[in-house]
Amino acid sequence: MSAALPVETRRRRERTAFAPVSILVLILLPLLLMPLGAVFVFALRGGLPAFWRAVRAPEAQFALRFSLLIAFLTAGINAVLGTFAAYVLSKYRFRGERTLGIVVNLPVAIPTVVVGTSLLLLWGPIGLLGKLITPLGIQPMFRPAGVLLAHLFVTFPYMLGTVKPLLDELETTYEEAAYTIGAGRWTTFRLVLLPALRGGLVTGALLTFAHSLGEFGATVMVSGNLRLRTQTAPLYIFAQFEAGDIAQANAIAAVLAALSFLIFFFLFRYTARTKKAA
Amino acid sequence: MFRRRVFFQRIGVVLPVLAAAALLVYAVVPWLPLSRKARPPRTIVLYGFSILADSLNHGVFPEFQNEWRTKTGETVELVSSFAGSGTVTNQILMGVPAEIALLSLELDALKLAAAGVVPKDSWKTFPHAGVVNRTPFVILVRRGNPLHIRDFSDLASPGVRVVHPDPLTSGGANWAIVAEYGAGFRRPGGGPRGGYDMLLGVWRNVVAQAASARAARTQFENGFGDALVTYEQEALFDRYRGTLNSDIVYPRSTIYSEHTLVRIDRNIPGRDRDLVDAFVQFLWSDRAQAAFSKYGFRSVDEGRNSRLARIEDGFTISDFGGWSRAKKEIVDGVWKGRVLKELGK
Amino acid sequence: MSIVLEELTKVYAGRRVVDRVSLEVGEGELFVLLGSSGSGKSTVLRLIAGLSRADGGTVTLFGRDVTNLPPQARGVGFVFQNYSIFRHMTVARNIEFGLRLRGVSRSERRKKSGELLELIGLGGLGGRYASQLSGGQQQRVALARALAYEPRVLLLDEPFGALDAKIRLQLRRTLREIQQALHVTTILVTHDQDEAFELADRIGVVDRGRLLEVGTGEELYSRPQSFFVATFLGAGVVLHGRCEEGQARFGRVTLPIPADLPHEEGGPVRVLIRPEQLVLDPSPGTEPEGTPTLGTGTVIEEIFAGSSKRVRVRIPEQAGLRQIFPVAPFGETGILVDAVLGADRAIPDEVSVLLKGWRVLAQPEPRVLSLGEAPETAIAAAKLARSIKAVLTVLGIAKDSDRVERTRSEIRSRLGEDASGVELRVRAGDRTEQVLSEVSESFYDLVVADGGGDERRRAPGERALLQRSKTPILFARGGERPLRSLLICTAVGEPGRNDVRFGGWLAARLRARVLLLHVAVGGQEPAAWVHAHLDRGVRTLQALGVDGARKVLPARTPLEGILAETRSGAHDLVVIGRHAGRARSVRGRDDVTFQVLRSADRSVLVVPADA
Repeated sequence: MSAALPVETRRRRERTAFAPVSILVLILLPLLLMPLGAVFVFALRGGLPAFWRAVRAPEAQFALRFSLLIAFLTAGINAVLGTFAAYVLSKYRFRGERTLGIVVNLPVAIPTVVVGTSLLLLWGPIGLLGKLITPLGIQPMFRPAGVLLAHLFVTFPYMLGTVKPLLDELETTYEEAAYTIGAGRWTTFRLVLLPALRGGLVTGALLTFAHSLGEFGATVMVSGNLRLRTQTAPLYIFAQFEAGDIAQANAIAAVLAALSFLIFFFLFRYTARTKKAA
Repeated sequence: MFRRRVFFQRIGVVLPVLAAAALLVYAVVPWLPLSRKARPPRTIVLYGFSILADSLNHGVFPEFQNEWRTKTGETVELVSSFAGSGTVTNQILMGVPAEIALLSLELDALKLAAAGVVPKDSWKTFPHAGVVNRTPFVILVRRGNPLHIRDFSDLASPGVRVVHPDPLTSGGANWAIVAEYGAGFRRPGGGPRGGYDMLLGVWRNVVAQAASARAARTQFENGFGDALVTYEQEALFDRYRGTLNSDIVYPRSTIYSEHTLVRIDRNIPGRDRDLVDAFVQFLWSDRAQAAFSKYGFRSVDEGRNSRLARIEDGFTISDFGGWSRAKKEIVDGVWKGRVLKELGK
Repeated sequence: MSIVLEELTKVYAGRRVVDRVSLEVGEGELFVLLGSSGSGKSTVLRLIAGLSRADGGTVTLFGRDVTNLPPQARGVGFVFQNYSIFRHMTVARNIEFGLRLRGVSRSERRKKSGELLELIGLGGLGGRYASQLSGGQQQRVALARALAYEPRVLLLDEPFGALDAKIRLQLRRTLREIQQALHVTTILVTHDQDEAFELADRIGVVDRGRLLEVGTGEELYSRPQSFFVATFLGAGVVLHGRCEEGQARFGRVTLPIPADLPHEEGGPVRVLIRPEQLVLDPSPGTEPEGTPTLGTGTVIEEIFAGSSKRVRVRIPEQAGLRQIFPVAPFGETGILVDAVLGADRAIPDEVSVLLKGWRVLAQPEPRVLSLGEAPETAIAAAKLARSIKAVLTVLGIAKDSDRVERTRSEIRSRLGEDASGVELRVRAGDRTEQVLSEVSESFYDLVVADGGGDERRRAPGERALLQRSKTPILFARGGERPLRSLLICTAVGEPGRNDVRFGGWLAARLRARVLLLHVAVGGQEPAAWVHAHLDRGVRTLQALGVDGARKVLPARTPLEGILAETRSGAHDLVVIGRHAGRARSVRGRDDVTFQVLRSADRSVLVVPADA
């Protein structure tokens, strides 16, 4: 499409863009790019073997795998929950709709530490419900389940945010067209609605995944931060930092940063492609 | 042309999907019941304050596992979590499943007792009143000691920039304050007046208060300030690893910080009691104490510390009536109540 | 019959958006539902498709009752205004979707979609996506998709509504061709009458949820029954008159009422005159014998329209003749008619307006407007409307537009159980102005106003109405007394005809007795013409089927006589005429109409002479 643009205009656009672009880069350099670069510089300062050793440490491996597992689970579960929430909020009109809309987006506004605290105060051993269920041998806090709960809470709005606009845009007639042709509700959802939401689902899932991977505030409260049990990668980084193993911390931080880069690279490419297709 | 585009489009889809699948496999594998042993091993859950992490993980735990295995044939697991002493205390108050906690301050143990988590003074029944190891407070200065700092009193000289952890959030900082006060107090002719003067002098020169001992250390290592008041263990451990790039100054008088063990009985299942008790006893064994020493701590048994620099006038918190009094009188009374006011901080 | 609807009803928020619609569509027929937006026509379509649940009535498709079946089981093809092409599927896959659901093999699907693509004129575009097609092309795909699995019923909801005029024309033709080729029973919904005329085998006109009339385009255009259809399709004026002696009387013109359109004597009559049915005669006074003449008028506007021109003529006010469509500009008392002439015909300023043709419409239900601020007035109006089988509208005036909703709910609670079936209208602004606007914008047979208290306390709106209105006004007074006996006072100067006619019509509907009263002032024996007039009045009443009597009462003044008779005769309603052309003098305190209005303790009905 851009090939159709005359070369002349493109060149002019490039020239006029030079000043604002360089200002932006100058701002971004110390703000974003250089700190991220520093992580990699420090991670590799002890040489590649040292970096590799740091990554291979059992605690580090556990933390990485655990973080990834939680991120996969969070993205999967919230993909379903978020899509359902988006569907309900988009397709039904009811009393308290606005309030519900605010509630589901609340996690964006709440500090994650507060999320962790509130989960503890509800489910923890001394929490409102926790007090009742702990004697039954059920206690989600300080266990992987607690970490998952916290991540589901914190990342809930992402799916909603990417899927709901797409659903809002789809008129009800889109589904109705499928009904009249003979498709049942589930078939319609599977063959008609879901493919139309694919862009939002992928974007939302990647955002959820990325956020879950980096979640710290809520996790530190509810995980109990147990090595080889509930310690996620960010917690591991922080713990290593606190214990003075800065090199170790840097190595894992670099791995996390690289993973996030990768995710956003795909995300960016994906949205660019779907935008072009639309 | 067209075919090539299709190929690239395919790659653009297949590659991320493959990558995601690989990550998923990587994440899931340890959780799969592939090589699950017949019964999961018994565990001990220990929460400790940050500087203990290495000495326990790499020193004490393997020693204990070996000993237990040779003695009983059973393999046990030690699960641990390390954070600032105050954080650990609060985590325990919130209900983390800690069976044993190692705190940098007896004050935190008192907090747990006050909340009913452990019986009051229950740790006093352990050997050495529950103190597993100790480390004196020292001064770290730049290589070659360019400002010729020899003692706490030198920190009060004009122009010395002192980096100090914040006593409001850091256990280490509380120790440091008592160390500084005690050094002034025990000076010939010192007394309370000497202690106060010492604190005032040092704190006039404090240029940065970091949230934890660790954070203060990082600031100092990044080149900020001329002197840092910190645990000897940190410096020794760095020296052992070869990463120390500053000099250690031993003051004439300083405090030994003593690290208290508490056992949280309510978190210990009955069948694990013997194991936990064995581990607790093990902490004062020769092998454990040697492991602590290796990581720069001083043993509770003075005889083992002969290779370390001699402290001319070492004292402990009991010299100032224990932590509950010291906290009230020195930290809150002198430092917060008078020094900070005087300095207008 | 392939589609049969019986008493189909849908209720939203207490309103019947589809109101007992019954319809039969034959096999292979292309039926068009025509109506303005919000009329409920699309809802009818959705009820047939099963996209909405009916609250009453049945839908039968090819002999199968599908009323309670989900849309998937009905086997209808549906085309939406917004195309709703599945974006992530190619055109071919969109078309094949229905076949795929039915397990048709891939090769057969390919073949079918190929055929359909050819049929809709998009051969070779099967690999495209919706985003690569124009709106018209997308709608063609939607049509093919709906037809792919060969449904026996095709429903189209404003299918061309979102398209350019030119594309619309092309697509209409395509649709008609395909529909005829496949012989699929089709219902199309539109608001565009050209589209309806061009496509439909038959048209059904929908208004406010009701299917008003069904017929071919030609039938509906030239022989509409209802006011709505007459004015919704095509141009023309609708005039209002009264049924007199079996004929429709509009001012000077009397037109025969067709036998198939029974009219109640004395009741309202409406006639539709299309522009092409008007003849402008350049020489007034020389009308040919037998051609009804509306009157002599002035040409006020000539509009060039290519091959023809539209000429607007104003005919001055006439007693007994009112234009109810198009609504005259405020303050206009004459009749404005449009005629179509050849563009080359010159026309003088003064012309005689002749009728070459006309269509008398079905007699409308009488309409009553309640203006009362007092609660008992609204209730009295509700009772009256019910007993004369009239449609009641209650008008509320809010001080400003913010209070409209409050006023509305106040009126509703005031009416209580009487509120059902009542049309509520709330206007915001100055009371007098809004009352007058309402009466001139919508046509009412009778206005009911507060009658309590004395004249000075009467709301200015009613007074102005009394001075200017051509609509009879009933001033309600005396509570909920049923109207059993009417006293029609003919003593007011020149004998009225309208008071007798209107009062008689009302009495007929109320099944009330009527006494025609003449007051002999000063005790003199009235002149012979008075007796003749009273006799004629009684005969008129008899023609209306009313039990009527006459009475001459000597009295000192007309007022005294009327009041005396009112009391002694136990009459429930006093009917009194009011002069035309003397509107300004009504204010005079010696006017008998006003004296009666002031003094009587009964309800008073004032009938303008020019009603």
